[in-house]
Amino acid sequence: MCLLGPSGCGKTTTLRMIAGLEQPSAGTIAVGGRVLDSVEQGVYVPPEKRGMGLVFQSYALWPHLSVRENVEFGLRMRKVPAPERRSRAEAALKMVHVFDAMDRYPSQLSGGQQQRVALARMLAVDPEVLLLDEPLSNLDARLRLEMRAELKRIHEESGATIVFVTHDQLEALTMATHVAVMNQGELQQLAPPMEMYARPANRFVAEFVGSPAMAIVDAGPAPGGLAASLLAHVQGHDRPAAFGIRPEALHLGTPPPPGAWSGPATVEAVLPAGASWTVRLRVLDTELFAVTHTPVEAAPGDTVTCWTDQLHLFDAAGLRLPALDDVAARA
Amino acid sequence: MAVRTKAAPPPPPPLRRRRLLYRLRVLRHDPTAVLGLILVGVLAYLVVAPLVAVLSDAFRLQYGDEVHAGQQPGEWTGYYLWRVFRSQVSGLLFYEPLLNTLVVSLGTVLFALVVGGGMAWMVTRTNVPGRRWLAGALVVPYMLPSWTFSLAWLTLFKNDRAGGQVGVLQAQGIRTPDWLAYGPLPIVVTLGLHYYPFVFLLVGNALRRIDAQLEDSARILGAPRRVVVRRIVAPLMLPALSSAVLLVVGRVLGTFGTPYVLGLPADYRVLSTGLYQAIRDRSTGVASVLTAVIVIIGVLIVFCDARLLREHRRFVTVGGKGAMDRLSDLRTWRWPAFALGAVIFVVSVVVPVLTLLLSSLTRTPMDLSTLTLSYWFADSLPGAVGFPHGIFRGSELWTAAWNSLRIVGLASVICAVAGLLIGYVVVRGSAPRIAAFLRQVSFLPYLIPGIAFAAASLSLFAVARGPVPALYGTTFLLILVMAVTHLPYSSRSGIAAMTQLGRDPEEAAQIAGANWWQRMRRIVFPIQKGALVTGIVLPFISGLKELSIVVMLTTTGTELLTTLSIGLVDYGYTQLANAVVLVIALVSFTMTYLTQRLTKSSLASGLGG
Repeated sequence: MCLLGPSGCGKTTTLRMIAGLEQPSAGTIAVGGRVLDSVEQGVYVPPEKRGMGLVFQSYALWPHLSVRENVEFGLRMRKVPAPERRSRAEAALKMVHVFDAMDRYPSQLSGGQQQRVALARMLAVDPEVLLLDEPLSNLDARLRLEMRAELKRIHEESGATIVFVTHDQLEALTMATHVAVMNQGELQQLAPPMEMYARPANRFVAEFVGSPAMAIVDAGPAPGGLAASLLAHVQGHDRPAAFGIRPEALHLGTPPPPGAWSGPATVEAVLPAGASWTVRLRVLDTELFAVTHTPVEAAPGDTVTCWTDQLHLFDAAGLRLPALDDVAARA
Repeated sequence: MAVRTKAAPPPPPPLRRRRLLYRLRVLRHDPTAVLGLILVGVLAYLVVAPLVAVLSDAFRLQYGDEVHAGQQPGEWTGYYLWRVFRSQVSGLLFYEPLLNTLVVSLGTVLFALVVGGGMAWMVTRTNVPGRRWLAGALVVPYMLPSWTFSLAWLTLFKNDRAGGQVGVLQAQGIRTPDWLAYGPLPIVVTLGLHYYPFVFLLVGNALRRIDAQLEDSARILGAPRRVVVRRIVAPLMLPALSSAVLLVVGRVLGTFGTPYVLGLPADYRVLSTGLYQAIRDRSTGVASVLTAVIVIIGVLIVFCDARLLREHRRFVTVGGKGAMDRLSDLRTWRWPAFALGAVIFVVSVVVPVLTLLLSSLTRTPMDLSTLTLSYWFADSLPGAVGFPHGIFRGSELWTAAWNSLRIVGLASVICAVAGLLIGYVVVRGSAPRIAAFLRQVSFLPYLIPGIAFAAASLSLFAVARGPVPALYGTTFLLILVMAVTHLPYSSRSGIAAMTQLGRDPEEAAQIAGANWWQRMRRIVFPIQKGALVTGIVLPFISGLKELSIVVMLTTTGTELLTTLSIGLVDYGYTQLANAVVLVIALVSFTMTYLTQRLTKSSLASGLGG
C-alpha cells in the first residue's frame, strides 16, 4: 500500500496519524478491525501500544546506541529474553545485509546502511503494520533500485502490511499492491497501480500518474481543432469537458484499428532515448507527445497519421467519464 | 410488555463531550502537555510571583514613610516613583547609576566581544598551535569568582583614598591615580576578563557549527573573503552573537561583587549597588522601584531576544553533523597568534591568581621578605579578632565548603533537569504559548540582579502563605532561589540541545513500544548526557561563586564559602579573604575539570550540547 502525492499533500501526516504520533480532529482510524483512534467514540491507543513499525525519513537511529542495541531496543521494550532478543536482532540485520556492522554506531555507517538498520530495527519486532516515510528518498539511484527490490522481498517474506509514503510515482507503481493518490489533504483515488494507470479517477490523478504526463485537451469551442475532432469521435456519449491522451497510447505509422480515433499530425521533433522514442507532434491545433518502442522513421516536417484507442474522458468537474472502451465492454 | 415499559436507552453523550474524552485520553498518554503546565505553574510561582510582590511594594506606602508622603502604610502611592525619577535626590538614586550601568555594560560587552570573539575565531578557524590547550585555558577565567579579579586589582592598584592596606604599586611609592584604582575602568576590565569566556564559548560553538561548504559556495560564486564574512558568516553568527551580548549585558546588569569592591570607594554607583544600598538603608519602596526599572530593562531585552530568534530560527540548525572544518593558515602569524592567546590567559588567570596567592602568603602585600604561611595554617593570628586563626584551622572553612557543595550541587542538578525538561516541552509540545512562556520566563531571572531576586523571594516566602510555610533561613529556600536564578543557563542549553535532537529519535522509541518514562530514561536523557552535564556544570561553577543571593538568604547556620570570604573583606582581612577566594577558585576549577574528565564531555565544546 502506497501513499502517493505531491509534497505537502498530507501523506506524512496521514502516516503519522496511523502510527498515533498525531491525532485526527475527527473520524476513526482502524487497522484490521481494531479501532486505534476514534474521536467520536473517545478511543485512543498510544503509539507505543499499537505494535507498528515506522521508518522515519531521517531514520532516527539513536546515536548513543550501537547498531545491535538499536535493533534490540523494541524487543527489550517487549520484554523478550536476552538470547531470543539477540537471535532475532541478528536475523533482522541479516535480512537487510548489515550484519557485519552490528557493533558499530550509527554515525559510522553510510546513509544506505543507516536506512537498512532503521528498517531492521522495525523488522526485528515483527510488526503487523510497517510504515515507511519516504524510505528511499535519501539514497542514491543505484542503492534505491537495490532497496526497492529488497523491500519487495521483505514484504513477501515477512508478510507484514507495508504502508509507505512517496512522491515518486515510479516507486509507487513498481512496489505497491494498492496506491492511494492524495492531493491537498484529500484522497483522490485508491486502486491497484495498473488500474490507477489505466483508469484514473480524475484529472489530477491522470496528470500525476504516468511519465511523461498525460496530455489533457480541453473540449473548448474551437472549430477545426483537435478538440472538435475528438468531440466528433465520441458523439453519442455524454459530452466530456476534457480529453486525456497518454503519450504511450498515441500511435504512429500503423493503420488505425476500427473504432479508434485518428487524425493528421506534423512531426516537429524526434527524440530517441535508447529503448524508446519520444516524438513531438502537432495535431491540428495542439501539441502532443507520443512515446513508442518501435523505431520512428518519420523526420521533422513529415505529415503522418496518428491514432489512439485509449481516450480518457473527464466531465466539467474533472471526474472520469466512462471511456469508450468501457462503453464498448458494456455493450 | 415488559420490554416496552423499560426506559429507553440513555442517549449517547453529546459529541462535544466525547471529543473532550478523546482529547483527555490522548493527553493521558502524552505527558508533555501536563509537564508543560506543571512547569508553567512552577515558573509562575517561583519567577513571576516574586516580581509581582516587588512591583506591589513599589506602589504601596511602606512603614516608616508616612510622614514624608502624608499617607497611611499600605495605601497605593506614587511617592516612590516621584522620589526616584523626579525629586532632588533622583540624580543620585537613579540617573547617575543608570548612566554608569550603561557605560560599564557597553564597555564590558565590547571588551568581551573583542577578546572572546577574536579568540573563538582563532581557536576554531585557524591553525594556531596549541588549539586544544587554548580552548580549555581560555575558559578558566569563568571558573574564578568575578570579584577575584577585583580583589587582585585592588591588591595591585589600591591607593590611599580608601582605608586599609594599600596596593603593591602604592607601596612601591608609585602613586596610582583614582581613575586607575577605582571606578569604570577597573570595573570594565575586571568584568571583561571574567565574561569573555562566555562569548568565547558561544561564538566558538556557532563557528564550529557553520559548514565550511557554505563559505566555499560563496567563494566559488565569486565573493571575495571580505564579502563572505559579511554576507554569509556574519548573518549565520548573528544568533550566537546576539545571545552572547544579551547574556553578558544581563549578567553585568545584575553583577554586584565587582562594582561593590571597585566602585563604592570612589562613590561610583551602578544600579545593582544602588539597589543594595537602598535595601541596606531599609528604603524598601525605593529599592522596589529600582528593581522594577531593572526588571523592565530585562524584559525589554528578553523581547528583543525573542524577536531576533524568531527572525533567525530558519537557519538555526544550519550545518549540523556533516559540517566540515577548514582552517585558515596563519603562516608566519601562527606563533604570534599563539602568544596573544597565551598573554590573554596569563593576564586573565595567572596574574590574578598569583597576585592573590602571593598576597595571602605575605604580611606586607607581595613583599617576599615577609613570607608566611600563617594566614593558611596558623593556630592563632594576633590582631584578627573575627577570625583568629589560619583558614584551614577551625571548622569555619570546612563547614562553609560542605554547605557550598551540598546546596549548590543540589540546586544545579535541579536546574539542569528542569532546563532539559523545559527544552523538551518547548520542542515537543504543540502549544506555542506554553513554549514561549517557558522560554522567556526561564530566561527572566538572568536579567534580574540576584540581590533583587533574592529580596523579592524573601518578601514572598518569608511568611507562611496558604499551604506554603515560612521558608526564611531554610536551605530549601536557598536551593530553590539558586536553581531558579540559574535556570537561564540550563534552559537555554536544554532548548538548544532538544532543538538539535528533534522529535524523531523519541518518536522512533515510542513506535518501538517504549512508554514515556522509558523514552526519557533510555533515549532522551542518555542522548542529552552532554547537555545535561553542561547544564549542571555551568550553574554549579556560577553558583559556587554566587554572592548576592547568598548574602540575602543565608543565616548564621548556613555560611557558604562566598559569604565567608566577603565577610573577611568587610573585616579588612585582605590576606584571609584572598585565601578563601583562592579556595573557591580551586574547588570550582577542580570540579569542572573532573566532570569533564569523567564524562568525556568538554565545556569548551559544550554550552548547548
